[in-house]
Amino acid sequence: MKTPIIDAYCALGTDREYDLDADTLLRGMDQAGVDRAVIAPVDRQMAVYNREGNEFLLKTAAAHRDRFIPACSVNPWYGPPAVAELRRAVEAGARLLVLFPLVQGMQANDELMWPVVEAAAALRVPVYIHVGAYHNSTPWQVVDLADRYPQADLIMGHCGATDFWMDVINAAKAAPNICIESSLARPFLFKSYVEAIGFDRGLMGSYSPIDDFVFEWEEMRKLIPPEKDGGVYGKNLLRLLEKRGPL
Amino acid sequence: MIIDCHTHWGQQWEEKSSGNPAPWLAILDRNKVDRAFLMVCEGLFRQDRVVADNDHVARVAKASGGRMIPLGTACPPIGAPAVAEARRCLTTLGMPGLKFHPWVQGFSVADKTFHEICALAGDLKKPIFFHDGTPCYCLSEQIGGLARMFPKTVFVLGHSGILWNWRSALEAVRFPNVWSCLCGPHYRAMELLCQRADSDRLLWGSDFGFGMADPIGYRLGLFMRTRISDTLREKILDHNPRRLTSNP
Ligand SMILES: [Zn+2]
Repeated sequence: MKTPIIDAYCALGTDREYDLDADTLLRGMDQAGVDRAVIAPVDRQMAVYNREGNEFLLKTAAAHRDRFIPACSVNPWYGPPAVAELRRAVEAGARLLVLFPLVQGMQANDELMWPVVEAAAALRVPVYIHVGAYHNSTPWQVVDLADRYPQADLIMGHCGATDFWMDVINAAKAAPNICIESSLARPFLFKSYVEAIGFDRGLMGSYSPIDDFVFEWEEMRKLIPPEKDGGVYGKNLLRLLEKRGPL
Repeated sequence: MIIDCHTHWGQQWEEKSSGNPAPWLAILDRNKVDRAFLMVCEGLFRQDRVVADNDHVARVAKASGGRMIPLGTACPPIGAPAVAEARRCLTTLGMPGLKFHPWVQGFSVADKTFHEICALAGDLKKPIFFHDGTPCYCLSEQIGGLARMFPKTVFVLGHSGILWNWRSALEAVRFPNVWSCLCGPHYRAMELLCQRADSDRLLWGSDFGFGMADPIGYRLGLFMRTRISDTLREKILDHNPRRLTSNP
């Protein structure tokens, strides 16, 4: 069977700058020739309304089982209830945990993160972390977390864009359990990162609607042709997601 | 016409073409960009190269038949000679503005010498471009602070906050002496800046020239996809940059 082409990160819902609904995303996927997309919550549902966001994504994904892969989020500040909500969401079908230190109010290497990342590793779901905001989430903070939890699969969202771009390669080389995701990093830089650390550790994500779904796929394919993607367009993410079982 | 308001004359370009603008301009041609504000590059990183780099940029711009609009710099930590160099750029070399990168150049926007340069630029009615969006010296709100202190000086946020600081860029552009260049923010931030900021003070840029890579196609393509009117797009790409320097 052909490996599906998967977008590693889209945020579904409406909230401040977010404005993406399921039909629009499906249209973009059809236009760009993308089979499946990870759907993640909007900021407010990561900061406070975790369960509302998780339920919405699970329900939306259930209605488009062959197209959407539901992520979930919990705010580590909630402590044990956050871990309980993570377990509940994953048992209900969520396949990836998203953490956004800037929005959720801690550093990526903060002790608050530990129980949540540990639980995600035990559940065998990868952890996507938004990386690049000053102070809150730098590439080397993610390495700290990766060191502490070598059994966890961490995804460095945005490759530390913009200002930590110089750290990405060394940081990724320091921790084999980190994959890097392309959104916001710009295709012309992302390509140089995967060339340095290995294409098998790169994931293509559009971060639609923050960036334009079709445009990001078109631009990336100009630089990394599909026949030479090294798994960036789906296989690498699938390898992480299927640790919990077939999709 | 398309005017790219954020490009650099990188050291590699100087070495490769020794003052000949043709290879650099060929990248503009490939992307159908007509003119560009050309900023120094090596002079931002090396204090000892400021004067030479200003000369390089002035010289290559002169050879470009008006397609390159040169912006020089100065090094505020050295004190009075920096003010003299800023004056040389704006008068002797005839540059229409200056560019500063406080993070890389290692000075705070609270620097007293830099304040003298801000006052000078205001007196000469020439804008100051910034790298903005990065702590701890050049967050967009810090440039907003300068705009409050120097209401007669025009400040340009060269990156509109890059990725994570665009909300501060949006606050800073409430001041009539702050302009903002869409060079670095993501697609939705560009759209929101277009919707919420005074569209008379928006520009677009690519940051081309720092190295040999060509980011223009991507960055222009992203801007072209934003859901804004054609009239506004034309204003940002053409009319506004001309008004900024009154360079018809
Ligand atoms: Zn620049």
